[in-house]
Amino acid sequence: MNLKQFYALLLFIILIPSLSSCFQVIEEITMKNNGTGDVVLTINLSQSKTKVASVMLLDSINGYKVPSKQKVQQKLNEAVAYLRKSDGISNVKSSADFNNFIATISFSFKDVSNINNITKNILAQQKIKATNNSSYSFNKTTHIFSRKYQPIGTAKTEFSKLKSQDKAIFNTATYTSIYRFESPVTTTSNPASNVSKSKKAVMLKSSIMDLINGKINVSNQIQLSK
Amino acid sequence: MFQIKYNYLNKMKKILIAIILLFLVKLSYAQDLVKKIPANAFTVATIKGDNIFKLMFVKDFNESFLGKKLLTEASKSLDKNFNSIEDFGINLDKNMYYFNQLSDSITYNCFLIPLKDASRFENLIKDKNEKVKTTGDVRTMTLPDSSSLMMWNNNMMYFVTGSIRSDFFSDSTHAARYGIKDIRYQNSYDAAAVADSTTAVVDVAATPADTAARVDPIDEYTKELIKPQASKKNTVKKKAGRGNKKQSTKKKITKGKKPVKKPGVIKRTNPGQLSDDDLYTDTANTIASTMADSTYTDSTTTNYDDRYSEYQKERAAEDAKKKKLAFIWMNAQADKIFNTEFESITNNKSYVKSYVASLDDKAIASLWVSSLQDVYNAIAPEFGTYGKAGIMKGYGSLNAKLFMDKQSFRISTGLELAQEQADVYKKIMNRKLNKNFLKYVNSEKAIGFMGYSIDTKAYLEEFPKLMKQTYGSFLGGRMDEEIGLGADLFSLLLDEEAVSKVIKGDALFIINGLNTKEVTYTSYDYDDDYNRKEVTKTKKETLPDFLFMFSSEDTRLINKLVKYGINKEYVTADHNIYKIQEKKSPIDIYFMIKDGIVFFGNSLAEMQSISSNQYQTAISKQHKTLLSKNNFSFLFNAKNLIGKVPEEEFGGAETAEKFNTTLSKMGNVYIKSNPIKGNVVSGEISAEIPNGHENALKYLFSLIENAAK
Repeated sequence: MNLKQFYALLLFIILIPSLSSCFQVIEEITMKNNGTGDVVLTINLSQSKTKVASVMLLDSINGYKVPSKQKVQQKLNEAVAYLRKSDGISNVKSSADFNNFIATISFSFKDVSNINNITKNILAQQKIKATNNSSYSFNKTTHIFSRKYQPIGTAKTEFSKLKSQDKAIFNTATYTSIYRFESPVTTTSNPASNVSKSKKAVMLKSSIMDLINGKINVSNQIQLSK
Repeated sequence: MFQIKYNYLNKMKKILIAIILLFLVKLSYAQDLVKKIPANAFTVATIKGDNIFKLMFVKDFNESFLGKKLLTEASKSLDKNFNSIEDFGINLDKNMYYFNQLSDSITYNCFLIPLKDASRFENLIKDKNEKVKTTGDVRTMTLPDSSSLMMWNNNMMYFVTGSIRSDFFSDSTHAARYGIKDIRYQNSYDAAAVADSTTAVVDVAATPADTAARVDPIDEYTKELIKPQASKKNTVKKKAGRGNKKQSTKKKITKGKKPVKKPGVIKRTNPGQLSDDDLYTDTANTIASTMADSTYTDSTTTNYDDRYSEYQKERAAEDAKKKKLAFIWMNAQADKIFNTEFESITNNKSYVKSYVASLDDKAIASLWVSSLQDVYNAIAPEFGTYGKAGIMKGYGSLNAKLFMDKQSFRISTGLELAQEQADVYKKIMNRKLNKNFLKYVNSEKAIGFMGYSIDTKAYLEEFPKLMKQTYGSFLGGRMDEEIGLGADLFSLLLDEEAVSKVIKGDALFIINGLNTKEVTYTSYDYDDDYNRKEVTKTKKETLPDFLFMFSSEDTRLINKLVKYGINKEYVTADHNIYKIQEKKSPIDIYFMIKDGIVFFGNSLAEMQSISSNQYQTAISKQHKTLLSKNNFSFLFNAKNLIGKVPEEEFGGAETAEKFNTTLSKMGNVYIKSNPIKGNVVSGEISAEIPNGHENALKYLFSLIENAAK
């Protein structure tokens, strides 16, 4: 038994209790009045780092292949390369912290509509089916920022096909979207969203489980003061 | 005096007679259906009705959830009223059997069910007048699609279903003998198109003769077909059969169109020399060149759809033929089993040895497989030619028994080895677990452990032999020398004696409980502008404390390794406890060498107490026996885990609750290997049932009932 196999055995035992892990997905968009802006996407798995570190030592778990550090880095690079080629996108950066398991991608856009379909295409590139259709728009004259979110019906059925132990991974996962503006916000259409003290930012936190199940919709129409 | 003696003798006589009578009764009782299982059965499974209904009375069964469900379903589907499983007419006090018989041509799956009341049993059959044939007191029924057959009299019911092995008919000799063609759908465009459509033409043209030609030989050879096992004994007959078949094939071909004749004959007379694909291509080429102006133009341009439906039709026709053949064989087999005397499995030495010896025990079900080597060879053709070599060489019959008693479910298995193999295993397993290991087991807290002991020296010495035996034949005779050479090299390079001193071959892995520790992680806080600020938070994580140990007589090498590790900064030392510096590892791992034992563990406190001889020994007698008596042992104690894992680890109270209830339904689970007896290796797995249940069978029923709710 070599050390790796020994670890595998050990981790198998450690992992028996459950695989539920907390992870956060954060989407931040900073809009300027002229319609340009920046995006930061973050995936943070650090709350489950013991488990993730354990899983990374295995070749596969629950029938899924565990990607190596190199593979994760490569996928991230592919996403960056794709973004660099995309219309209206510039200043693309990425980072990956394999001690805390946090990855980010950031970039700037000329118009917020440039980012429509980007997530979907990146996912498609990695052969992952997107769970929703999202589109963003910013009307410079009416000062309305809107996000239209449409969950894809099949996502729910696909999800329900997963084994319960695989579903458990999403139990405590959260999705947070933050939109920041130069002008104060007057109204938001989504009652689940919060406006910051400064009135210049809107945050919406939801559980990924609710998103997949369609219990929550993250569509929002944000009116800025003129 | 004499009188007394006489009386005494008389008494003795009476007692003797009584004993003999009792014995006879017992014997006639033992006259069970096992006699109806042929000696060459491949697998035999037994359900021991009397043992089952000792654990659970028929009345209890009828009132159980499962019993009720069975009775209502049966009542509903047959439009009758069943109140007890006894209404099915089955003799519940006798053994029921399943067995199968394999041959290269057909596999039979058979059931033997003892009957108590045949008329009640017949109640289970709908419209019996139509399908049931009666000969004397034997009634026969063919199931709707002719795939299975049922025969019964007043005492027993026999059910057989036969399936033809498709690979049998890919051998053209066999196929021709029974008038069956190997049909394949080909996609490669022109060659295949011609080939396929022409074969189709042959077939159509041949049809009138065909039916006669094909049915006849089948009837003619029915006797022969009765023994479809194409054993050597049959070769002569087979040849005769083939000759005959050739004639009929010729007949067929002359009826076909001329250009086809030649390739057709080639196909039949050189079976096995060319692959079918070659033949088809050949056929196609010949045809393509011979028929310039031919009548075939139409068929050659037949489009794929037509060709495909043609193919399907042909395929269906061939399948029907195979089915008919299977039916004939099945009938003959059933007749033999049911109506004749033959050498039964009770004359099979291996069966008797490993199985009958324990027939009167308390097992409620058992399984016997004639020989793993044979099983492997039987399925080998499907693995291709390599399979023939027999990786399972040296492994004989396998038996498994299921017990359910007051305390536990238990499955014991035994595997017969060839003498040579058994000797090897005996040598390897000639070691007991280091007694000092037992000091470090805490039975009160232990969630589980796993111990094993082998003789490293014997293992290393025997390893090359085992490899040679297993893979030598696998690689074919050609590699024998190389493998022998490799085995010698292995022995030369390794000093078995020296290695066995470093790693003696016994080890124990224990999880002595769970421990909670604080871990940090990164999260975010947001300011008034919802700007993100990274913050470090802490949370509690529950991890099992493990301890792994193995014996070592000679720790010089390990000490050197440790020194090297320290120099290279892979390892840090704190007195005699070392810590492995592995960044990737999510947990800290410590190790230590003490009194000829190498310890690994993730709890510093535990390590320290071992080091200072302050470890509290608390092993139970039961665990002590389990670990010290067997070469391999495993325990999982669910009770010690209940409620020990905090809810947040599950991501919700609901999941945690589920986890804990599942655990509370489990007793201890044990696995152990027994010492080799004769040439049989055996092992046992058992699961204890929680308190408050009469026996394991009833507990199982209650589990099913709860699960269904």
